[in-house]
Parts: sequence; structure tokens; C-alpha cells
Amino acid sequence: MVVRIRLARFGNKHQPFYNIVVAQARSARNSKPLEVIGTYNPIPQRPTNLSDEEARSARPYKEVSLDRSRAKYWIGVGAQPSDGVWRLLSLAGIGDGRTKTKN
Amino acid sequence: MPPRVQNQLVTNTLLPYLSSSSTSTSTISKIPTQCSSSSITSTSRRTCRPFSSTVASQTKLRNEMFTWLNGEGAALKNHIPGSTNYLTQIKERDEQPVGRTRPFPLNQNFVSESILSEELRNEIYDRVVNQKKSVRAVSVDLGVDMRRVGAVVRLVELEKRQKQQGKSLALPYARAIHEMVPTTPLYEDTRDNRNRPHESINDLPVHKLTDPQIFYPVSESRQFNRVDAGRVFSAAPALENKQVNDAADPAEAVSRITQNPSHIEKVGKGEAEQQVLQPADARIPHPHLVAHERFRQSRPTEYREIFKAYNERLRQEETAEKERKRLAKERQDQQLTKVQPESSRFEFRFKDVVVSKETTGTDGRGSKAPGLRYGVPSYERKKGQVKIPTRVEV
Repeated sequence: MVVRIRLARFGNKHQPFYNIVVAQARSARNSKPLEVIGTYNPIPQRPTNLSDEEARSARPYKEVSLDRSRAKYWIGVGAQPSDGVWRLLSLAGIGDGRTKTKN
Repeated sequence: MPPRVQNQLVTNTLLPYLSSSSTSTSTISKIPTQCSSSSITSTSRRTCRPFSSTVASQTKLRNEMFTWLNGEGAALKNHIPGSTNYLTQIKERDEQPVGRTRPFPLNQNFVSESILSEELRNEIYDRVVNQKKSVRAVSVDLGVDMRRVGAVVRLVELEKRQKQQGKSLALPYARAIHEMVPTTPLYEDTRDNRNRPHESINDLPVHKLTDPQIFYPVSESRQFNRVDAGRVFSAAPALENKQVNDAADPAEAVSRITQNPSHIEKVGKGEAEQQVLQPADARIPHPHLVAHERFRQSRPTEYREIFKAYNERLRQEETAEKERKRLAKERQDQQLTKVQPESSRFEFRFKDVVVSKETTGTDGRGSKAPGLRYGVPSYERKKGQVKIPTRVEV
């Protein structure tokens, strides 16, 4: 059985919010995972408290919280990130950085 | 109940819209009523319903209301600019037009507070934004609470932006309000603003820990001061060896607390951990004013010396505050990694969290662990959950 790092959906209708979890691949999406290593809020937040010049160039941001050392550990012992989590992890500089290729 | 028909002459200039359609138009020529044609006859019964045999008069109270409105109440129809327009001042209105601040005749305890005048408001904005003075200094100099100074700066900024965007402002409304409520002027000598402040700026907020009444026996031989009282309130153990120099220079002791709030001792374990309640001199908004006053008492004649010491104290306070803010921002930035990928419209902000036995707890349900928790019911959608904030943290 494969251990995966994947997203578990929380939040309400039209308000997605994800836990980044480490879980057995065949378990249900929101079942109790082995470990919760972070969260991901896919709804873009508007940056506030900026000066006028900053506000022109500022991008809306998405919040990710992540325990890097745990993520590295789980990848080191063979956990496979799902596509979405792979993207997030490579943005965070964990893993080798190249995008995942489908075999 | 039959429809109430007015058959009495009502002349009301104060509230024209109140007068019903049966009023004679002979007195109020401006307001066209539907029975204007029938009232030409000017019969003894002035009514729109000539065939009705019902004689329904106005109630006594309503009659009295119109009598009052046309009589002494008429004085309140137009306000005198620069003075309040309160019910309580009808009699002495002409004699003493200013200085009346009690609007309710039956509640003499209610005093309407004055608001900032336009000049004072602009002066606050000018000092903070253009002269780059600190909010603390402006608050002391002009006698306005620090929170109000912040609010004024934000609101004037907003007003400027609205003007820039060509949005209309409710200026006539603002002008009328400023004419009718008491305002705090900007005195020509701005020292007067300090002597006659807009509001009390150094109020001690009531701390929750001081709510209970504690009976704490102390031996007579022991010195028991505000610091000790604070420790008793927060259930901290009494200090073993007293710091003697605290009594020698109390101002120094207070500024040590206010300039390094992170060094305040903490008591309690886990969730219940909290800072030890500090003495009142350290918790007031402007602790440096106490030190200033103490210094002035000790050297009553050396004005220059006092002024210099005050400025020095203020400067120290400001630099400590700035340093504290800078460190907090640095710490926050350290935890946050911002990534802006070229392929995305968005920025990704990665915050470091810790998954360990300390955060998740032994059963894995600790509240400090990252992510939404499993096996813990969410009362988010449950009935009766209060979601708006019910109190303000001061």
C-alpha cells in the first residue's frame, strides 16, 4: 500500500479549505490521516495595508502553511505527493523542483 | 375604531407634514391640500367630509402637541449656529446661547460630549502625516485619545481619497451637525488644547483580573505596593527579594516594563498561561506623563530642564515602540516565504508550522497543531453561535 501526501477538503460550501495530510492511498478523502502536515487555502486573499505603488503591483495571495521537515521526511520514506500537493511542494522548494511527469 | 377626522384648525409650521388633510389651507398657504376647494365656504365645521355626521375630535394629547409645537416649541425649529439645539434650553436659549450640553430634561446625568472641530481634526492629520510626529506626542499635545488620533488620520485619508476620486461628500450635513453639537476648538495657543483637553487621555482600562475582590492578609512589617497587588490578582507567587531600586526610581521601573513588554513574567501552564498583572502606572496609555509630572514636582522652576527631559522621555518611548514593531515584522517575515510563480496570477505565502508531540498532543487533537482537527465537533453552523465580536481588546 502506498502512502500519499494529499489534500483533504474541509470548509463549507463554496469555501474550500484543505488540510495537507499524509494518508494511506486507498483510504477515504476525509478519513483520519496518519498526520496533518499543513493547510492550503485556495481562495485568493487581497493584500491589505499597502501603499499606492505597492498596491498596483501586488498580487492576490494564497495561504499555505506547511511543516517542511515533516514533508521532507515523508517524501524521504517514499510517500507520493498527489498532483496538487506536488505543485505546492515544488513551489515551497521541497523535492527536486521539476514538475511531475506522467509515466 | 372609526377613522379619526380632524375638525380643528391646525396650524403647524414646525412639522408641516404632520398636519392632516382636513386642516384649513387659509393659514398654511404653502401646502396644497385636497380639500382646498371646499374650504372656501369656511363653515363652522371645517372638514373634507361635509356629509359625515361623526364628530371626531383629535385626542387631547395630539392637541397639546400641536399647541406646543406652535407655541414655545417653535423656537427649536431653527437652530442658532454655534449653540446646541436642545429641549432643555428653551427658556434660557436667548439669555445664554452656548454651554448647554444636557439634551434630556428628565435625565440630567446625560451630557452630550463634544466632537472634534474641523480645524482640530485637520491639525491632527497635519501633525501626524506632514510633520511626522508620533501618535503619542500628538495625543498628549492636543488632548485627544491615541485611538481617536489614529481614527482621525484614517478618516481624513479616506476623505482625501474620495475627493480625489470625485465622489460627493455630505458636506451640508457635516456643516449642520458641527453647528448643532458642542465642538472642541483648536485654540490659537495650542498649549490651551493641552490644558483643556478634548477628552481624558490617560484612562486606566479595567483589567479582567481585577474584577474579583481578594482578601489577602499581609503582615504589617511587609511593604505591599501596586506591584505586589498585581501579583496577587494574577495568582503569581510573591517576590522573594525585593528590588530596592524600584522604589528609588519608579519612573525607570515603569519604563523598563513598558519598553520591553515581552520581558513581563508569565504565570500559569499551557492554555492558562498569562502575563503577571502590572501596576497601574505601567498600564495607562501614557506612562511617561507620570514620570514627567514627578520630575516637574522635584524641579519646579527649571522649565528648560523639564522640557528637555520630557522630550527625551518621549523619544525613548517612541524608539522603543518602533524597534518593537520592527522586530515583530521581522519575525513575521522570517516565518513567511513568498513565492510568485511566473505561470500564476497569484502569490503563494508559505508559513512554517510545527507538527510534533508538543503541538498535536498525545491524542493527536491538540489545538496548536496545524490544520482543521479531526474528531472535534465544529460548532460553526450551530444555532446560537455568536460570530460578531462581542468585546474590544484594549
